Amino acid sequence: MTASTLKPSTLPSATTSPLAWVRSRLFPNVRSGILTIVLAPLLVYAAYRAALFLFVNGRWEAVTRNLTLFMQGTYPRDQQWRIVAQIVVLALAFGIGAGTASAVRADVAKEAGLALPRQSPLSVIRRFWSLIAFVLLLLYFASTATPWLVVAGAVAAFLVGTLARFIPTSLRNLGWTLAALALVAGFQVVSGTVGYSWIVTAIVLAAGAWSTFKFENVEGRRALLYRALVAVAAWVVTYLAYTQLVYPGVGWDYWSGLHLTLWVSSLAIVLSFPLGLLLALARRSTLPVLRWLSTGFIELIRGVPLITLLFMGQYILGFMLPQGTNLSSISRAITAMTLFTAAYVAEIVRGGLQSIPYGQTEAALALGLPTGKMMRLIIVPQALRAVIPALVGQFISIFKDSSLLYILAINEFLGVRSLVHAQADFRAVAHAETLVFVAIGYWAFAYAMSKESQRLEVRLRAGRR
Amino acid sequence: MQRRLLALLAVLALVAAACTTGDTADTVPVTDGGADDTSADTTPPDTGDTDETTDTTPAVLPQDEGGILAAVRDRGAVRCGVNDVLPGFGIVDENGEYSGFDIDFCRVVAAGVLGDPDAVEFVPLTAEARFTALQGGEIDVLIRNTTWTATRDGQEGATFLHTTFYDGQGMMVPASTGFTTLEDLADATICVLQGTTTELNLTAVFNARGIPFNPMTHADNETLQPAYESGQCEGWTSDVSQLTAFKASIEEAGGEEQYIMAEVFSKEPLGPAVPDGDSAWAQAVDWSILATIQAWEFGLTSENIGSYDGDDPNILNFLGTDGFDPGLGLAPDFAVTIVESVGNYQEIFERHLAPIGLELEGSPNDLWTNGGLMYAPPYR
Repeated sequence: MTASTLKPSTLPSATTSPLAWVRSRLFPNVRSGILTIVLAPLLVYAAYRAALFLFVNGRWEAVTRNLTLFMQGTYPRDQQWRIVAQIVVLALAFGIGAGTASAVRADVAKEAGLALPRQSPLSVIRRFWSLIAFVLLLLYFASTATPWLVVAGAVAAFLVGTLARFIPTSLRNLGWTLAALALVAGFQVVSGTVGYSWIVTAIVLAAGAWSTFKFENVEGRRALLYRALVAVAAWVVTYLAYTQLVYPGVGWDYWSGLHLTLWVSSLAIVLSFPLGLLLALARRSTLPVLRWLSTGFIELIRGVPLITLLFMGQYILGFMLPQGTNLSSISRAITAMTLFTAAYVAEIVRGGLQSIPYGQTEAALALGLPTGKMMRLIIVPQALRAVIPALVGQFISIFKDSSLLYILAINEFLGVRSLVHAQADFRAVAHAETLVFVAIGYWAFAYAMSKESQRLEVRLRAGRR
Repeated sequence: MQRRLLALLAVLALVAAACTTGDTADTVPVTDGGADDTSADTTPPDTGDTDETTDTTPAVLPQDEGGILAAVRDRGAVRCGVNDVLPGFGIVDENGEYSGFDIDFCRVVAAGVLGDPDAVEFVPLTAEARFTALQGGEIDVLIRNTTWTATRDGQEGATFLHTTFYDGQGMMVPASTGFTTLEDLADATICVLQGTTTELNLTAVFNARGIPFNPMTHADNETLQPAYESGQCEGWTSDVSQLTAFKASIEEAGGEEQYIMAEVFSKEPLGPAVPDGDSAWAQAVDWSILATIQAWEFGLTSENIGSYDGDDPNILNFLGTDGFDPGLGLAPDFAVTIVESVGNYQEIFERHLAPIGLELEGSPNDLWTNGGLMYAPPYR
């Protein structure tokens, strides 16, 4: 609206000469001119020093020689193929997810009779440029061909995964099931089939079977029965398969480096979200006990610094669990991080819930929707949409806070740095270089997360009309 | 009304549950070393009934079931609590492999008990967490530059074994300051690691002599070193072994020349610790370590121990070639395995501590026959 009322001549034109640009942008009046004269040399000097450090003086051997250590820490090198396999399988999972998502978008567009906005490879690069830049940096630092092969394998697996968009519309949920299954498989390639890990696969398969095979040609109640039977069968088959399949692996107690950082923070994020959602709903519940418990939990956890919770996890959690359960320090740390994030997520989501006018609830009730359905279909989606930026902010924060594990002598990404500087060659040198490298690593992921949240916001706002 | 009642009932149930867990919490400190992650890695998923048995039967103290020694044999690996950022004693190299003086003694224990120097799971620990880990059964043995003190022996539930390294606290200052005695450091800021005996000693010694000073505590050497180098503190106090290592690396990197004061103002016997109350395990660990000293005294090295063809009955006993078994729960030839795969004390010292600038000869860590403190009880 404002743009259309402006005269075209006042808009900076792309075709003005460089001199005119300098004049209008850098020296429009005396005050700005002085500012330019003062700041420009400072900026140029700072850039010069930074470039000198990055490209000339920086002793990057501390990073290049320890690149594998930064990526996977003390993880046994003879088991390295597991991590390679994991990267490829996870790329496949993301490929299947992306393929299915694009198919869903195509379906929606077709139904609405709209043209599907084409996604160019360029837009993908723009979305994930920080991560791509980080991977390129790693490849630049790499001294062997293996990382190149891994990246090539991951890209190939991703592209294969996107073929999931050709799965027929009626079996759309199969795509999601396959993606989830590949995620779990990616985890278990490294961790092995440990203890109760079969339950996760069983849940994925049962839910997938339930939502994929709908028996739409069978009427009414019988269809439900069939679906339940298929789901139970999937559950039982998974259990039996896992009892037969003894696949030893390397549990997460032996993970470290960036590998550990990414898993620990992903798990904390993924686990804390549903927990936080439930806590938020419980805090607004009409049942007093539920409300008290939830409020008590949230206020207790929010009143304590994360580092205190982590220490409590290490020193106290063991005494509160039943005898004989021997939780490793990483499991305890994940527990503490999950509980901490859940409390914050709960408060963020509660804020979203409160922003939904009561009229929505009344309208839903007037339509005769039961409370559960009302929450699921009307209130929660709108509430979540309202709080995406805050939620992602919290997730970015827990991702960065995973570096606190360093204080517990868990060698995550930042912790590897001190391993490097205990080595004879790097004891008194290159402290700045390793720190810059680690900072770039954290930034690449945090920035990608923030960028994705902005995208999600824009997309969902479009749906709000 | 009904809803209120339900709520009250639920609260009561919760309180009851909290109380019962509270009761058991008193007896929890010992977790069973046998039920561990490695076995979980390889066993198929637990079925419901095994789960139930772990719930209903009280956890067994390690000692009741053949103790830690049996648990270690079951697991096929020794869990060794270590420091992974201590030059010379424990570091991680580019390939993710642990190495160092303390690390080698973990390998010595593994070689002695299991016959395989690589059957070790290294658990990096902070100074603060080390005794909790030992009490909680997270580790079988703690070899993490830990000073043997009465309090730790008494209150921390740790049993200290033969000292592997006699250290002492010293003070490093930039050579340019010209300081040579502690008195010169009056009103100076002194950097020290927190939660260590070093910190307590610093206060004790300076207070006893009436020297005013400001301590600056750091969680690890990673932050301490830059603080010291940038002049935030005038002195750096730590064990002499550490100061020597850092002096060498600071000077090598082109930093200021450093001076370590001649005065050593504490006794820091560093050695392995095991949980209290399992003497079979303590003996096995102790004698594995003593074997490296005994081999040194006998002049046996990793190179010549396998080809010993003399007839000294003491050495033959030690090698186990005559079938001598003192009943320590170790294989008769455990000493051969240890020395062949890891080395004798001198070899271990020269491999890890000579490169950081420490000398064995004439130090307290020399063999007793050379005037040092390294002395193994007779093996017979």
